[in-house]
Amino acid sequence: MEEFHPHSDEMTFNAEEAHNIVKECIEGILGKVDYNHNKVNQWTATIVEQSLTHLVKLGKTYKYIVTCAVMQKCGAGLHTASSCFWDTTTDGTCTVRWENRTMNCIVNVFAIAVVL
Amino acid sequence: MDEFQSGEETSFVVEEVSNIMKEAIESAIGGNAYQHSKVNQWTTSVVEQTLSQLTKLGKPFKYIVTCVIMQKNGAGLHTASSCFWDNTSDGNCTVRWENKTMYCIVSAFGLAI
Repeated sequence: MEEFHPHSDEMTFNAEEAHNIVKECIEGILGKVDYNHNKVNQWTATIVEQSLTHLVKLGKTYKYIVTCAVMQKCGAGLHTASSCFWDTTTDGTCTVRWENRTMNCIVNVFAIAVVL
Repeated sequence: MDEFQSGEETSFVVEEVSNIMKEAIESAIGGNAYQHSKVNQWTTSVVEQTLSQLTKLGKPFKYIVTCVIMQKNGAGLHTASSCFWDNTSDGNCTVRWENKTMYCIVSAFGLAI
């Protein structure tokens, strides 16, 4: 009985590739605007959806979680932490931090391999 | 061929996870005021406690727990998340907590193996 061997190059998370994808999405959406309370919800939703779409297009057998936080620059302190219980050989994460004059943006990508 | 049948629930139970998260937040920062020097320790403690309680449930899941603590200063904070997974077995839960000096948002994602 033959065992199914997944291609080894496709079963690791390429953080650099994900980083570039997300960075482009953020730049495209927030690159030229200032913090705007009315539009922020729309921006965060678009960032996560676009990033997710591009990641899925890579065609790898992964489940993805993309989170985005946009914060107005106001002197407040913001701290984030995350902890993951998964398979360290195949799963991975990538965080992109971006800012301009009026806001900070933090996007996290978590990729979990699907074992078929 | 016998199929493996688990008598316990093997789905993501939002209420159960939400309680675990609330307890972790209360025990790490309940009753404290925002303190720049301690926040890193607090966020770490919240995620680690939540994750360890989740794994103790013994379900065949991979977990991701994130925690954001923000000082109350009038700044706006918006978060969004989008997930590409199996809708029938995977799930998430977010708990928002606040006191006089800070906001704390904890999210837990569970993905069936």
